[in-house]
Amino acid sequence: MVLLSARCWLRSRLTDRFWRVQEVLKYARHFRGRKNRCYKLAVRSVRRALVKTTKARRQKKRFLRGLWITRIEAASLEHGLKYPSFISNLLKSQVELNRKMIADLAIYEPKTFKSLAALAQRRRQEGFLAALGDGKEPEGIFSRIVRHY
Amino acid sequence: MAGARARAAALLLSSVVRHQSSQSTSPQQGLVAKTSLTSPPWPEVKLPDPAEEAKYHAEVVQKVKELIAAGRYGRLFAVVHFASKQWKITSEDLIMMDNVLEAECGDRIRMEKVLLVGADDFTLIGRPLLGKDLVRVEATVIEKTESWPKLNVRFWKRHNYERRKIITNPQTVLRINTIEIFPCLS
Repeated sequence: MVLLSARCWLRSRLTDRFWRVQEVLKYARHFRGRKNRCYKLAVRSVRRALVKTTKARRQKKRFLRGLWITRIEAASLEHGLKYPSFISNLLKSQVELNRKMIADLAIYEPKTFKSLAALAQRRRQEGFLAALGDGKEPEGIFSRIVRHY
Repeated sequence: MAGARARAAALLLSSVVRHQSSQSTSPQQGLVAKTSLTSPPWPEVKLPDPAEEAKYHAEVVQKVKELIAAGRYGRLFAVVHFASKQWKITSEDLIMMDNVLEAECGDRIRMEKVLLVGADDFTLIGRPLLGKDLVRVEATVIEKTESWPKLNVRFWKRHNYERRKIITNPQTVLRINTIEIFPCLS
């Protein structure tokens, strides 16, 4: 016989609620407190954690660059140079190593870093000499001693 | 420099003061007031003699050439510019790039943009690159996979805005086979 309306005991019921909940709780297992067990609290925590992860992927690059710069500064001060003069003189000598590389070399290859520092120091001195020029005064300027009579 | 300035001062003052009274005390030679701008703020620098320096440089280059020709260096490391990043590599190294390489697994690759090569006793720094006849870096493509599924979630509170996206980047793994240098310095 054909039934025109469904029976009362035929319902569409959620059968995989357990696995849907586990999908969220698996990311919260290492959290502190009740948010690693209770779904309602875990949902909020996991959502915030994932949002922070996405934003942190962009900030990690900034953070690491600052770390490299700190390390290069420390290493170049050991050799008697400051970071701005070290980097600018290296660039003027056409050495195009980036900060990550120079920081790694400073940690693992100290002799190579010492030679880079010496190169930067020499280029700095050549720059000073070039800035002084011939050593003559430009013409048309009277001396700095002004006497009033 | 100070002497020239003093001489100029003396000339000017003497020409101005000639028809004035006899009280003119023109500054003696070499006596200029020491201001904050008489000397540059950096300490005075003296570079070594260029001829001697050139001799010294030639000696060093000759020694390094002999070392390379005799093969008396240990493990070489190189700084290579590859996949828009700089890598510090040695032989038997594994490298993972976060993008696709148009080469099949098992292909040998030569990396040409070498910035620096070093061993225990010497380093060769390129300005900015080293010559292709000086260094040879060989690598093999080992595997091409995708990264682990990263979750990209954007969420604004109280606005019913949540977007979830799974990102898998293609990755390539390379093994650096050898780094060789040839004695053709000048």
